[in-house]
Amino acid sequence: MLKSTTKLLASAAMALTLGTVSATADIKVGVLVPDSGPAGLFGPSTRNSAKLAAEKINASGGINGEQIELVFADVGVPPAEATQAALRLWKGEGAQAFVGMHDSAVREALIGRFGGQVPYVYTPVYEGNSCADGLYITGETPSQQLAPVIPHLAEKEGVSKWYLIGHDYNWPRDTNALAKGYIADAGGEVVGEEYVPFTVAEFDSSLQRIKESGADAVLITLVGGGSVGFNVSFAGFGLDERAIRLGTLIEENTLAGIGADNADRLFSSSGYFASIETEGAASFAADYSAAYGADAPALNGLGQSAYEGLMLLAALANKAGSLDVAAMDAAAEGTTWTTPRGDNTLTGHHMAQTIYLADGSGGAFNIVASFDNVASSEACSN
Amino acid sequence: MTSVLILNLAWQISTLALVALGLAIVFGKLRIMNMAHGEFVMIGAYAPVITSSLGLPGWLQLPVCLLTVAFVAFILERVVIRHLYGRMFDSLLATWGIAILLREAVELIFGRGYQSVSPPISGTLSVLGSDYPAYRIAVIIGIIIGFAALYWWNARSKVATRIKAMVGNPDLAEAIGINTARLSAGAFIFGCCTAGLAGLILAPTIRIEPMMGLDYLIRSFFALVVGGLGSLEGLGIGAGIIAGTQSFLGAVVSQTYGYLAVLTLSILFLWLKPDGIRSSSR
Amino acid sequence: MTALLEIDTLTGGYRDTNVLFDVSAHIEAGSVLGVFGRNGVGKTTLARLVQGGLHPVHGDIRLNGRSVGDLPAHARRGQGIGYMPQTSMVFDDLTVRENLTLGNAREETETYFDRFPRLAERLDQPAGTMSGGERKILAFVRTMIEDTQVIILDEPSEGVQPENIDHMAECLKERALAGAGILLCEQNLSFLTGVSNWFLGLDAGRVVLNKLASEVPASELRSILSL
Repeated sequence: MLKSTTKLLASAAMALTLGTVSATADIKVGVLVPDSGPAGLFGPSTRNSAKLAAEKINASGGINGEQIELVFADVGVPPAEATQAALRLWKGEGAQAFVGMHDSAVREALIGRFGGQVPYVYTPVYEGNSCADGLYITGETPSQQLAPVIPHLAEKEGVSKWYLIGHDYNWPRDTNALAKGYIADAGGEVVGEEYVPFTVAEFDSSLQRIKESGADAVLITLVGGGSVGFNVSFAGFGLDERAIRLGTLIEENTLAGIGADNADRLFSSSGYFASIETEGAASFAADYSAAYGADAPALNGLGQSAYEGLMLLAALANKAGSLDVAAMDAAAEGTTWTTPRGDNTLTGHHMAQTIYLADGSGGAFNIVASFDNVASSEACSN
Repeated sequence: MTSVLILNLAWQISTLALVALGLAIVFGKLRIMNMAHGEFVMIGAYAPVITSSLGLPGWLQLPVCLLTVAFVAFILERVVIRHLYGRMFDSLLATWGIAILLREAVELIFGRGYQSVSPPISGTLSVLGSDYPAYRIAVIIGIIIGFAALYWWNARSKVATRIKAMVGNPDLAEAIGINTARLSAGAFIFGCCTAGLAGLILAPTIRIEPMMGLDYLIRSFFALVVGGLGSLEGLGIGAGIIAGTQSFLGAVVSQTYGYLAVLTLSILFLWLKPDGIRSSSR
Repeated sequence: MTALLEIDTLTGGYRDTNVLFDVSAHIEAGSVLGVFGRNGVGKTTLARLVQGGLHPVHGDIRLNGRSVGDLPAHARRGQGIGYMPQTSMVFDDLTVRENLTLGNAREETETYFDRFPRLAERLDQPAGTMSGGERKILAFVRTMIEDTQVIILDEPSEGVQPENIDHMAECLKERALAGAGILLCEQNLSFLTGVSNWFLGLDAGRVVLNKLASEVPASELRSILSL
């Protein structure tokens, strides 16, 4: 009795709040952002980017003619709690599609929970090979970030001896497994490979090993604070004069932490940088600062990926003519659309996209090369 | 190879000793388990960020660091710590709350993102045949001189004895003329200031963000567990064993084993020898 | 002429419980005020109220005519009021030497070592390792050598060997002769009567006797103790 009364009251309250906010919205899209936890740093830029995408989609006619409204949930929490939060949006608030910027553990939990009943776009950089009905991926996979970039650096920078260092979990290991092939193909060799626990804050002994290995290039798959600490010490020891660095998750915040003094010949490979100078990217950056001001949380590849995810959702749903997973899966292959990152194509539920190589020397990313329409080799067989 | 290993050891041990010094004073002497210790390291590391955002010259970093940390520590002592002397568990809970508050405050002012600080001395020096960052060498020498001075002062001044007397028998300490309120506040603020100084010194070599403090609290705690509370020698031994083990195993085996060894050592000490190697308190 | 120490209608105790009610007394320079009474009548409370470990609910304490009732204990010590507690009377963790040198000393310890040679033998030993009587002696000597005008002693003879109690009495008389005022709370009647110039008898927190020692027959003392 009490339970049903509570339920009734809750739905009444919900109807009231939603009624006032969403008078014009017909489709609710759940946006899963990390407001807390280790990725909490990216929460604000993710939300901001998602809101810009919703405005853009609604301005150009919405999804199948219906306006969309975003509903947010914090997924910077353990997978079980994140799933509960997503479930509240789905069953409680009636979200008809999801866009998520979070870690892989949360993604796997959500895939299980959604069971292919609701379209779900996963947006951050990740290790690849995640496939499910209704799951579409905009994030860069290791093959996209490395296949064109390693031969390019080998040629332009003349490097051949690679040292691979990353945190001890699957994304760095998967990345390095692929990297070894690209390095060999480019005529280089791997002179060292090392994985450090997340708890390690000092990299002195790793730096010593890098120095002794004679490496002239270091592939960095450390994340967040570990990446900052490593790169600061790397330059402190003068290793920046001996070797170039390439990171596949060094975005604007990480570079700010590393600092201008320590970023010489530090390259980063990503589908997005705030400093991309194409027309699409420049107008996106202008919209962003117009909407949120000059002091807004800095744009970066992870935050901006939410924009990409929503644009993919809109493009695909419009092509399929509905938000039904079966219809979207049938229409998915070969969907093309354009975003600040460039021209994109959906192949194997993954986004073939332009990959940019930026040089962080001087403390700001300077795009030195771009590679169009790079498809992922860790995509799904349809 | 070996000369860099030795320099790395010297760097790790000396910086850990400096970071742990404040906790050794506040926990070891005042029996306040200061969970906000790492946050004082963090605030110290933000001092150069404060000066540069205010457009102040670089030489003001040290005074700004010490004043900011001392101010925060003073307020904290007045409002919270003063009521918790000798109540280890209560102090642990209260300072944990304070730690969260300080993190949130710094996040509110400077944002969640990383900050970077340039070292006052850049470049590398050739020492014993290998290149080593000049700033680190200056810091190692500075810390050694600083600890020598502290040891000399500690052996001559009655302050350490007064603190010990105060903690053991506060009523009698008052009766013989010790202003216990001022002495404990002074010791607490001094301990926090050494933590802030450690943060300032380490700033050009580490990541700087609001959450950074926890690492330093944990490593300091390990060093005290192994070395024992209550003496500078114990602090040196603890820092030497913890940083030495991590650094040596990290270099010759792997970082993972280095970290595991440190954890194992700390647990073994807590279990089998909870007073640590050197304990002057009992 | 004002007394060295005046205790003026002092009321106080622990937290909400008053133990002492309207106690007045005074100590002249060069005299010993012997405070006596059965266990729990408020002798220790009086000592602590005068010394500053407890604060009066009302009433005042004046040293050389100046109020010290609002001062914390360390400041009263700074004004010249020394104190030997009944329990926890030494710093157990500190050595005998540290116990003797931590406060501001008025004179050398040598003359006291002649009377209490055990202390000299144990200078580098932690005070907590000594027997109860030895700790009393250490605390007594520490209190004697301080640069104080008023000395408050709470049961100094408890657990001390008779010959050492005699030495304590000699020390007290010398200190009084040199101009100090002494407030001595004591259960040992022969020690008390041997050194006191004035008696203050307490019962249930109130003054029941306040007289020059020579005017009080021993029978009156005993009757108060057996009230």
